[in-house]
Amino acid sequence: MSVSADIEQFILSELTQGRGITEIDPSENLLSKGIVDSHGVMELVGFLEERYGISVGDEDLSPENFESVASIEGFVERKRNGQT
Amino acid sequence: MLMELLYQSASSRPDEVALVYRDERVTHAELVDRVERLAAGLAAEGIGPGDAVALLLPNDPTFVTSYYAISALGAIVVPVNPAFKQDELEFYFRQCAVRAVISDDRSAGVCERIVAAWDEPAQVIPTSAAHGQALTLDMLMATDPARLDRRSPDEPLVYMFSSGSTGRPKRVARTHGQLRGESDYYDWMGIGPEDKIFCTIPLFHTYGMGCCMVAATRTGATHVMLEDPNPFLLRRQRALELIETEGVTIYPGVPFNFRLMAEAPASADLSSVRLAFSAGTALPRPFFDAFLDKFGVPVRQLYGCTEAGTLTANLDEDPVATFESVGKPVDGVEVLIEDDEGQLVPPGTVGEIAVKSPGLTSGYSDMPDLNKQAFRDGFFLSGDLGQLDEDGRLTITGRKKLLIEVGGYKVDPIEVEDVVVAHPQVVEAVVVGVGTKVQGEEQIKAVVVPSDELDERELIGFCQQRLANFKVPQVVEFREEIPKSPLGKILRKYLI
Repeated sequence: MSVSADIEQFILSELTQGRGITEIDPSENLLSKGIVDSHGVMELVGFLEERYGISVGDEDLSPENFESVASIEGFVERKRNGQT
Repeated sequence: MLMELLYQSASSRPDEVALVYRDERVTHAELVDRVERLAAGLAAEGIGPGDAVALLLPNDPTFVTSYYAISALGAIVVPVNPAFKQDELEFYFRQCAVRAVISDDRSAGVCERIVAAWDEPAQVIPTSAAHGQALTLDMLMATDPARLDRRSPDEPLVYMFSSGSTGRPKRVARTHGQLRGESDYYDWMGIGPEDKIFCTIPLFHTYGMGCCMVAATRTGATHVMLEDPNPFLLRRQRALELIETEGVTIYPGVPFNFRLMAEAPASADLSSVRLAFSAGTALPRPFFDAFLDKFGVPVRQLYGCTEAGTLTANLDEDPVATFESVGKPVDGVEVLIEDDEGQLVPPGTVGEIAVKSPGLTSGYSDMPDLNKQAFRDGFFLSGDLGQLDEDGRLTITGRKKLLIEVGGYKVDPIEVEDVVVAHPQVVEAVVVGVGTKVQGEEQIKAVVVPSDELDERELIGFCQQRLANFKVPQVVEFREEIPKSPLGKILRKYLI
């Protein structure tokens, strides 16, 4: 499964339970639409760290890194490549 | 009447900063110019006294400009949560008979769909022509400014909506006089032109509107707005930086945000903050301690309601010893504690909080029967439970009304039930709040008696189409019947 699909699956199964959301476009704004709130970000960080072996610091907690599935994927790739 | 305050500031300190937003600094003179231009533009479009205009905007200078432009014309501001879905927006728009909607680009499309079906469509005015709209806020702002007349204190200024014990939210009208009355509290609290008020809470909510925007207007303080404050976890670093770099002195916030800031790995110098307030829900002691330990700033609780704005504030000399209290009534506010028979109870006894204030609404719109129950001798029966101590300090102990606290929002379970039972396969339903592992947070659970086989996901999708995300049940339980007492009262405690 691609990173993007993996992230989407996590959000759908863990963060949007019972909200009738069945799919998320990679470019869809998760924040402005309230799909992911602060609690959701915390759980997402835990998932990313465990799943991809990256460390998410406070400096990484920005809307730019978590705005969409595509943003999160890009963030994970940069982390894995040691670029951030 | 609030416009007079803007004019006073523009006259006495025209070049001082009224609003800070990202890199933008708007002086008092510039703010008045913007308000006058937009008011003139709206007037040219036929907006006038008594017309309701909805605001579907984030926290930014455009919200403030629009709010004052609309109200200065004698029209009525209807601030609405941009997270609401189409059905909810339509409810609010119809309840207020809005004449126009000022919307951000994201919400303009859904607003247009709503009003297109009306016999007399309202005008949707997006902030920019992202979708090719003919009329935008930018265009209206190009109108020549014109001095605005003083409004009468009895004219309605804003429509807000209050959660209730039954049915849909109730419309609350507050007048120019009532908002002006509330604004005086902030002057009484000692807030002044040298202060900088930091806003991370929605301006469409009474708390943000009063303690940030109106407070800044009344006192001449600078209103510093955090851009895109939600989710706050992704903004806390920016929030800490702003407080430090701008020298914020007044910070009205909510418990969860104080907790997040205390847990941030990085620190900041928050020594400029002389008053930090917490409201919306009870402040847990661990959050208070953590924030005080890290930043040396005691967070003081504050209490208010949609019907009246701010009512009490803890300005005690010893905020640590009194942290549990929401403080004493602000100047001009009266607080009483009553038993179920409406009799006053002595200090230390819990009862229903009744309040009277210059900022209090005259009543819920078009609900005379409810008003007879909720308002008596000028006092509003809040539905909150609390007690006064010997020195007049108020402590909130609970709620008489059933509200579910979800992510900082108070959700009326009756409103959610109304939607659930509207599903054709639902015979009966009860909605309750159930605890989560996060202190102070609840989940919404719907207990449903279906008429036949009903898929949970289909029911959730039905709710999703009609309710803002934070109101949609996260848990659904199907039962053959709802537990009730011999008298037919639903036994909610068995559903949690």
